[in-house]
Amino acid sequence: MADVAAAAAPPPAAAAGGEDEPLLQLDGLTKAYGALVAVDNVSMRVADGEVRAVIGPNGAGKTTLFHLVTGVVKPTRGSVRFAGEDITGRPAHVICQKGISRTFQLTSLFPEMSARENAMLAAQARQPRRWHPFGGAEVFLSARERADAAIARLGLTDVAERPAGLLSHGDQRLLEVAMAMAQSPKVLILDEPTQGLSVEETAQTVDTLASFLADSRVTVLLVEHDMEVVFRLAHKITVLHRGGVIADGTPAEVKANARVQEAYLGGME
Amino acid sequence: MGRSSPLALLAGLGVLGLLIAAPFGLPVFALTLLTELLILGLFAMSLDLMVGYARLVSFGHAAAYGLGAYSAGYILLNTSLPLPFAVFLAALLTGVVAVGVGWVCTLATGVSFSMLTLAFAQLLYAIAFKWVSVTGGSDGLAGIPKTPGPFGTTLFSSRFGFYYFTLACLVGAFLFCRMLVSSPFGAVLRGIRENEAKTLSLGYNTRLYKIAVVAVAYALGGLAGALFAPFRGFANTELLFWLLSGQVLIMVVVGGAGTLIGPILGAAFFLMLEHQLSIYTEAWALFFGLVFIAFVLFAPEGIWGLARAWGERVKLKGVLHG
Repeated sequence: MADVAAAAAPPPAAAAGGEDEPLLQLDGLTKAYGALVAVDNVSMRVADGEVRAVIGPNGAGKTTLFHLVTGVVKPTRGSVRFAGEDITGRPAHVICQKGISRTFQLTSLFPEMSARENAMLAAQARQPRRWHPFGGAEVFLSARERADAAIARLGLTDVAERPAGLLSHGDQRLLEVAMAMAQSPKVLILDEPTQGLSVEETAQTVDTLASFLADSRVTVLLVEHDMEVVFRLAHKITVLHRGGVIADGTPAEVKANARVQEAYLGGME
Repeated sequence: MGRSSPLALLAGLGVLGLLIAAPFGLPVFALTLLTELLILGLFAMSLDLMVGYARLVSFGHAAAYGLGAYSAGYILLNTSLPLPFAVFLAALLTGVVAVGVGWVCTLATGVSFSMLTLAFAQLLYAIAFKWVSVTGGSDGLAGIPKTPGPFGTTLFSSRFGFYYFTLACLVGAFLFCRMLVSSPFGAVLRGIRENEAKTLSLGYNTRLYKIAVVAVAYALGGLAGALFAPFRGFANTELLFWLLSGQVLIMVVVGGAGTLIGPILGAAFFLMLEHQLSIYTEAWALFFGLVFIAFVLFAPEGIWGLARAWGERVKLKGVLHG
């Protein structure tokens, strides 16, 4: 359990108090669908190396918030800054190229390709000659290296040859993380990594994720329903309710927050 | 995907050898039929690049064929450009036009994409009818010559020479496509085929890849049409008609989509069946329809899928008895 303790410890950048510019900064981010405001004036600063969980009752706007950051949805107002650059409203593939990789709430893989080929295609996206119409042996070679490394880090080496569609649900979730990691991202966005897993699978998947996150020091933005998982993985937690931020702080602070308790007790039932 | 086995390579070279030797052993009508078969095979293979490798189902691939045929016909009738140059120029022109077609059609996905390709083909069909000064209207272009050259050689204008030129185009296009689908570009196409949303989120501008594959597929389809025009000596609106678009899609499915070689076999099968059935009945298309349904139901991987399964069985038997 030593690695888990390491995962829970605050990273150096966060401990320093965040004087310098955060890696990811959201300012007044708002998304309205007509009268419905899905995300309401959300501001957030995520330091380099931090694991930040975004929690909230169903319909709180978590997934929409992620869509805004990754460029799937364009914001109505507000801005997203990443590594000092304004990336608000840029197309999804451009934002991904800048170093923000994500997983999906519902597993999204290439089911007929092997696990390794899945990760290779992810890694290939980071190569300057990724589109080359001929040859490309060196593109494949370096993609394979990065893919194998990512697959090994998430403990999938044994199933690397198997078609992704035939992997267990838990391994599929991990493969998505491996694909994102094969891109060596600066920010990793995990949308409910334990969604649809059994209790046992969840425990296993979270063990792997925790030890992996402790090693990699990648900055993570995480949405998760399972509070145990959140408290185990996250350094900091932002609580959304009806589109707006109602609390923001360390797990201990958030646990003690009266508004959070009220929102959860009043909102979840 | 991947490397072919030595056995498959040997079989391929054997077939190629037969095709090279064919003109010396075949009567004239058979050589003509074989030439047409190669042209149709090239046409079907070009569509497979879209359908089989990027799941871009075109209902209007006749647009490529017809555009290639009309362009080549117009060039051959109005200039003295040597045949091979005219053919390649027509293919190139089709590919350039297809960038625009691809740009528009990829605004949509799925069935809407298919409908847009059909709409574009119908648009060309209407233009071919109306723009009489260039296309000859309902008469089409007739008397398209096999111009001599380059350097005054009549190498490509003889029946033999034209057959070899067509064969070279098909083999060249096949090798080109093979290279394309096993390249990094091809890997992205495969991603688009299996899960486009994910491919996009991995950081690939999937629309550009789709436009590129449409352009290449149209250029090769245009090459087939450009060969057809001097081969038959005419180009008419039938070459742009939706019926042909449907037929070439059937060739791809019956032959085996996503295999390149399968659609060539599918085209051969189609042509042979048409030839044999039309001796007995006017309603040959009806019977071909039944064959098509049978393939979709019982052999969804097509002729090439059946051949491969058979090959596996033979290999397995060899292992068991050897």
